Amino acid sequence: MQHALSLALVVLALCQAGCGRGNEGEKKGPTIGFALTTLNNPFFIDMKKGAEATAQRLGVNLIIQASERDIDVEKQMQIVENLIQRKVDALCVTPNGAREIVPAIVKATQAGIPVFVVDMKVDEKTLREAGGSIVSFAGSDNFEGGRLAGEFVASKLGGKGLAAILEGVPGHETGESRSKGFRAAVKDKPGIGLVSSQSGGFDRAQGYNVMQNVMQAHPDLQAVFACNDLMALGAIEAIAASGRTGSIVVVGFDAIDEAKEAIRSGTMDATVAQYPAEMGRVAVESAVIVLKGGEVPAFVPVKIELITKANVDSVVAQQ
Amino acid sequence: MIPRKLRRLQGRQFGTLIGLILLSVVLTILTPYFLTVSNLVNVVQQSAIIAIVAAGITFVIISGGIDLSVGSILALGGLVMADALQAGVAVPVAIVVGLLVGLAAGCVNGLLVTFGRLPPFIATLGTMSAVRGLALMYKDGSPISGFSDSFRALATGGVMGVPAPVITMLIVFVIAHFILTRTKVGRYAYAIGGNEEGALLSGINVRFHKIVVYGISGMLSALSAVLLTARLNSAQPIAATGYELDAIAAAVIGGTSLLGGEGTLFGTLIGALIMGVLRNGLNLLNVSSYVQQVAIGAVIIIAVFVDMALKRKR
Repeated sequence: MQHALSLALVVLALCQAGCGRGNEGEKKGPTIGFALTTLNNPFFIDMKKGAEATAQRLGVNLIIQASERDIDVEKQMQIVENLIQRKVDALCVTPNGAREIVPAIVKATQAGIPVFVVDMKVDEKTLREAGGSIVSFAGSDNFEGGRLAGEFVASKLGGKGLAAILEGVPGHETGESRSKGFRAAVKDKPGIGLVSSQSGGFDRAQGYNVMQNVMQAHPDLQAVFACNDLMALGAIEAIAASGRTGSIVVVGFDAIDEAKEAIRSGTMDATVAQYPAEMGRVAVESAVIVLKGGEVPAFVPVKIELITKANVDSVVAQQ
Repeated sequence: MIPRKLRRLQGRQFGTLIGLILLSVVLTILTPYFLTVSNLVNVVQQSAIIAIVAAGITFVIISGGIDLSVGSILALGGLVMADALQAGVAVPVAIVVGLLVGLAAGCVNGLLVTFGRLPPFIATLGTMSAVRGLALMYKDGSPISGFSDSFRALATGGVMGVPAPVITMLIVFVIAHFILTRTKVGRYAYAIGGNEEGALLSGINVRFHKIVVYGISGMLSALSAVLLTARLNSAQPIAATGYELDAIAAAVIGGTSLLGGEGTLFGTLIGALIMGVLRNGLNLLNVSSYVQQVAIGAVIIIAVFVDMALKRKR
């Protein structure tokens, strides 16, 4: 009995702590649910901020829920199911898996809730076969971003040298598009050799370790492309630990604040900027337009660009 | 001695059940979306996968061991089954193949613990990594997706509004409860976990029965893979990462002692439901995901703390 009581009390206390913020802005407008990949990554935290600011401006009740791990597709499905139970008017989602999200989207479709996909594309064939539908996709072209990175590395090395890729989570669509883009760019550069392509799991610590191993195996490595900034930042530390800062070109992806700082200080050479806050804004805006009876395009491209020391300050000013 | 012990266990299960009910009452007061038939069905369905993994882990913990490899075994069992399904093997046969993979992996754990004389934590820590690696190697890191409707019905179907995963979960718990309380396998698990030397001296084949409990755990993990794969229409090599901790938490909240010799499946089921209801409620209430992790951690600590305090009182 004591057991039970304390349990209930904790929940109550936590709910008050947690909902205080949520309820304070309770408005008469529509309720939009946003199932976010994770909140352990600054990229998605920026997206959350963009979505929240837009919701505030448009008088929308925004419910943002994220899974603990970015690879946990089942938790994300639970979140979507719970948001359907919460009877949200529209659903925005950054899929944790291009195919695995489909059953959740189908459930929303069946409940008559319009779905807006952000950042990672849903596998269209799977979605069509399952009878689900989405209203619109807002995101950047990750393949193009990887290609930009590849072109940069090639020109930085003067068309000759050895490069490595730090891949994301195996089977994760976003990371794979990025590394494919990079490969496509260096493929037609005969002087650029791709000596290693290993997964760093989108994780900083793993990025460090894998980079260390790759440098052991290929002491003459001259460039590394990491499929996200966290891995690139880990790689920078590994490079510094081996005393080779400055001799290896490091390119990341996402343009998180720490990466931009590293570019400014010269430990990192470039990153590919996506605009997650912009994605969050577009998602919420699109949902509001559709809920009011309007129409939005099926694909809303969010710009993507390479950031180097030359333009890092102007980009920051823009944001 | 046994009746007194059983009575005490039942008293504690009752406490956990009251915890679940109070939690539900609190959530009902806080949000109108909680206490609806569709949401309750939703929660039980969401808890089914962890509950089945936790049922297996309960056997292991009662016998005084631990199994950290359940999530990895789930992933590997799911992939092999998915591969068989896509090769056109009949659904029941493919499921049996998956279960056998789980059983085999579980038996390897058992062999490492008994004949290898490794501490269970170390043995299953090793297989957690090794089996995950095998799962990643199996299709070179790629998921296997897209299955027939007849297979997917195991997650999407149901009987009279009760979803299939819930039915599967209930059947598993009834059978597992029977095995744990009415057969040698279960009785000996309690005996080994309570006093291994005593069990050995009284003539129990400790090694064999330890291998059996790890085998059960592996097989039930693979069974969860059936539900997970059907639910997501995809078997992923990285599936179920971290499930071992959720499953251990469910067992522990339900009153299973990590020291061995104590625990019930009813408690584990309630433990899994408490975690499911908590996550669901916090989603409905729009509580930040950071706070949610604190809440789940707090519930685990409080449940065990109160449990041990009550035990000392007796």
